[in-house]
Amino acid sequence: MFTLGSVLDNELKSTVEDFSFETNFSTNQLMLPNIEKPFEFAQSIIGLEKDLQENENQLMFHQQKKEERKERALIKGYKGTTTLAFIYEKGTVIAVDSRATSGQYIASQSVQKVVPINSYMLGTLAGGAADCQFFLAHLGRICNLYELRNNETISVAAASKLLNNILYSYRNYGLSVGSMICGYDTRGPQLYYIDSDGSRLKNSLFSVGSGSPFAYGVLDAGYRWDLSKEEALDLGRRAICAATFKDSYSGGTIKVYHIDENGWVKISDDDASELWYEYEKKEKKEKK
Amino acid sequence: MDSLVGFVGKNYVLMAGDTNAGRSIMRLKDDFDKLVQIDSHKILAKSGEIGDGNQFCNLIIRNVSLYRIRNETELTTKSVAHYTRRQLATAIRKNPYSVNLLLGGYDKKDQKGSLYYLDYLGSSKKINYGAHGYAALFVGSILDRFWKEDLDFEDGLELMKKCLREVEKRLIIGTRCFLIKMINSDGISVVEKVMINSEKKNEIEEEN
Repeated sequence: MFTLGSVLDNELKSTVEDFSFETNFSTNQLMLPNIEKPFEFAQSIIGLEKDLQENENQLMFHQQKKEERKERALIKGYKGTTTLAFIYEKGTVIAVDSRATSGQYIASQSVQKVVPINSYMLGTLAGGAADCQFFLAHLGRICNLYELRNNETISVAAASKLLNNILYSYRNYGLSVGSMICGYDTRGPQLYYIDSDGSRLKNSLFSVGSGSPFAYGVLDAGYRWDLSKEEALDLGRRAICAATFKDSYSGGTIKVYHIDENGWVKISDDDASELWYEYEKKEKKEKK
Repeated sequence: MDSLVGFVGKNYVLMAGDTNAGRSIMRLKDDFDKLVQIDSHKILAKSGEIGDGNQFCNLIIRNVSLYRIRNETELTTKSVAHYTRRQLATAIRKNPYSVNLLLGGYDKKDQKGSLYYLDYLGSSKKINYGAHGYAALFVGSILDRFWKEDLDFEDGLELMKKCLREVEKRLIIGTRCFLIKMINSDGISVVEKVMINSEKKNEIEEEN
């Protein structure tokens, strides 16, 4: 008999599930087309079906045709961007550009490539904008639920692992995500690189996007663990500036963020081209 | 691109892997440990895609732990190899894991080390020495020539360095840094993190 009392009882009874991660994050939560074989449909959009018909030996296609598939994908991710992040003694620095291109056309010069996950974690966006924005916002929701259920802040390692597991379960669906999860938790400043292929790497500095080789050059040359806050922010800004100068798919404005034990803060938002000429002027003055 | 080398010696197994993790032409991380510990006396060396390697190795580690908790006994290297192979084989036609593995382990019962070669297609073979990746092309002949049954640890380490020196010298993709691990009756230990610089007339700089 369903009396009000027994219904409330059932609602209030806590179960093991309430104190752990939801186990169904890795199964399909997204809306897939309501057809018999959604996986085959997703693969046909990214050109796999053609391979299966051409090549009856299904074992080989997975290895050999992967690169070709990416070329033929109708849903192409744009990796025309430069984002970087690094950790140092006093926290984490994140610097991004803000240009979005579709082919040769600059679609926008003011894209938000940094998505806040919670007050002390940020995620960067590279690859498919929709994919990144959705999954990072979803990660924010999951982290919030974790904090409500477990009464403690989630670590950056755990948050990145959650995202990694979700993206791994979608690894053949043609998603394009090249995100960095950056934050400050009880272990200090942390930085993880998460990929739509399912990789998750921990390191002290990363740069993602078409302009990343250029950014790496400046970053590797100037990086030390014991940088001061001013030096670190300047390094991040200069690295993105160098990348926007060399890479035509990066540009717009350069946004710099800093994360320390007090949470994340947006430091600056400068126009990329103007910044370049300001640096040039400064150097000319110093030479004199 | 990933290089893994391993061989069996007298009461030990020596394994080495390069420490690069990269994406297309770029090296993202240069201290990446590819020799994953399964339990106290077994190492699974992974090569191939980073994501698949992580997830698959986690699967094996957790299931080996679960077996140990349920049955209060450790699995032999042979059993783990067979289990791992089966996981790869059942996945290949549905959801392939692009990982090539070397499984090295020491069994207290037999007082012997053993090495297994596992492929992403689900092949498995017990070997005395072997390698994965481009290193296999260079190192295969060296091991054929110089490997002997029951090598001492010093001779074994020298042979391993000979192999790694050859990889550094001939592989056009720069892999200077290697991590060498050993499994013996005491368990798993990191022997060295070696940085090989063949320009210095075959001298080897050691980094701990």
